[in-house]
Amino acid sequence: MSAPSDGGRAALAAAQERLLRALVAGAEAPDGFDRERLAVAARALLRKRAAGVARAWPRLAHGYGERWPEVFAEWAAARPTAGAWRDGWDFARAHRAALPPPAARELAGQECRWRYDGAADPRPRRGPALRRVPGGVVVGLLGRTAAFVRDAPRDR
Amino acid sequence: MRRMTPPELGVGIGWRPEIAGFVAALPGLRFTEVIAESVDADHPDPQLLALRERGVTVVPHGVRLSLGGAEPVRPERVALLADRAQLLEAPLVSEHIAFVRAGGLEAGHLLPVPRNRAALDVLADNIRRTTDALPVPLAVEPIAALFDWPDAEYDEAGFLTELLDRTDALLLLDVANVYANARNRGEDPLDLIERLPLERIAYCHVAGGDDREGVYHDTHSHPVPPEVFGLVRELCARHRPPGLMIERDGAYPSAAELRGELDALADAAGLPRVT
Repeated sequence: MSAPSDGGRAALAAAQERLLRALVAGAEAPDGFDRERLAVAARALLRKRAAGVARAWPRLAHGYGERWPEVFAEWAAARPTAGAWRDGWDFARAHRAALPPPAARELAGQECRWRYDGAADPRPRRGPALRRVPGGVVVGLLGRTAAFVRDAPRDR
Repeated sequence: MRRMTPPELGVGIGWRPEIAGFVAALPGLRFTEVIAESVDADHPDPQLLALRERGVTVVPHGVRLSLGGAEPVRPERVALLADRAQLLEAPLVSEHIAFVRAGGLEAGHLLPVPRNRAALDVLADNIRRTTDALPVPLAVEPIAALFDWPDAEYDEAGFLTELLDRTDALLLLDVANVYANARNRGEDPLDLIERLPLERIAYCHVAGGDDREGVYHDTHSHPVPPEVFGLVRELCARHRPPGLMIERDGAYPSAAELRGELDALADAAGLPRVT
């Protein structure tokens, strides 16, 4: 059996990174690949990501209805994934001003429980927190949240 | 080399929290599979443990090891598989012939490796590092790919056969992936099946897919096409694998529809129904 040489690993690493950047970071397709098929694969990856974010952020995705996969894909196309939870959070932060009300409450609920700066992994909040949402506020304390909102169902 | 005869598993279905009740209610079930990284070591799902208590074999199926990645496999990811095998008293674990990250980026999906000598060396080395640290055998699964790398030095059968020759891994053959790849490459799926060492199969996956943009996508969220059941029949006529299971990962249908797929799989394989 031949063990992989350092040069073999390095060349493979570079080739895999070029391919991955083309698929998830909007980079140019590497030479020799079928560009059309890579584009099909990149769109399939975006649909899968959109479905994963919809599971982690059901109200966010639901707020966009049938447009969710398309709206998310447009935003995510050149942004590599940070996992479904952070992808959804980053999307919500980027669309904060225009979020549908249930999505805004979901974001506020998360922000009352976790500190997140958009760069490092979220950390649990220790003290109480309060976020304004359309028609009311979301309050967080000791890892739990409650929404006080006019004419809207309470968040879980 | 440590090789063993794979245990007899029969017909099964992938365990997912969304269908845990359905899986628990299958009277004849002897085998299921769970995504290894989804099992919380401190708080495993009680429904999963109940299956294990009942004598159902639960195989941890890894999706994030990146056996085909250029980097050596990370010991903590191998340790996770070993730990879940022990937790679930599994007779084997499985992973993919794929890479899932490179250059600090996560793909969020299984991506194909180039079929050349350098990738074979890396895969064989990563599989050896993994099996050395596992308490049970490892089965490796060829993936469905929407594209191929250029300048292949092997066809898929040649690549897989050499990889299995060079390692003590078992084969997890996904019949739906065989179908998907053959369709998307314009090949005959039986050509691959006839050239693989079928006696190395630990078990098989079967799943549904969908045509989109002129390509067949192995979605796991559509019905299993009749052609895939046809391939199961062809495979089992040559060599019946120890187990075959349905993989469903979304757009879960009614219990009746899932039972129908399990029965169709059992009938195609010539195995007892589990419903």
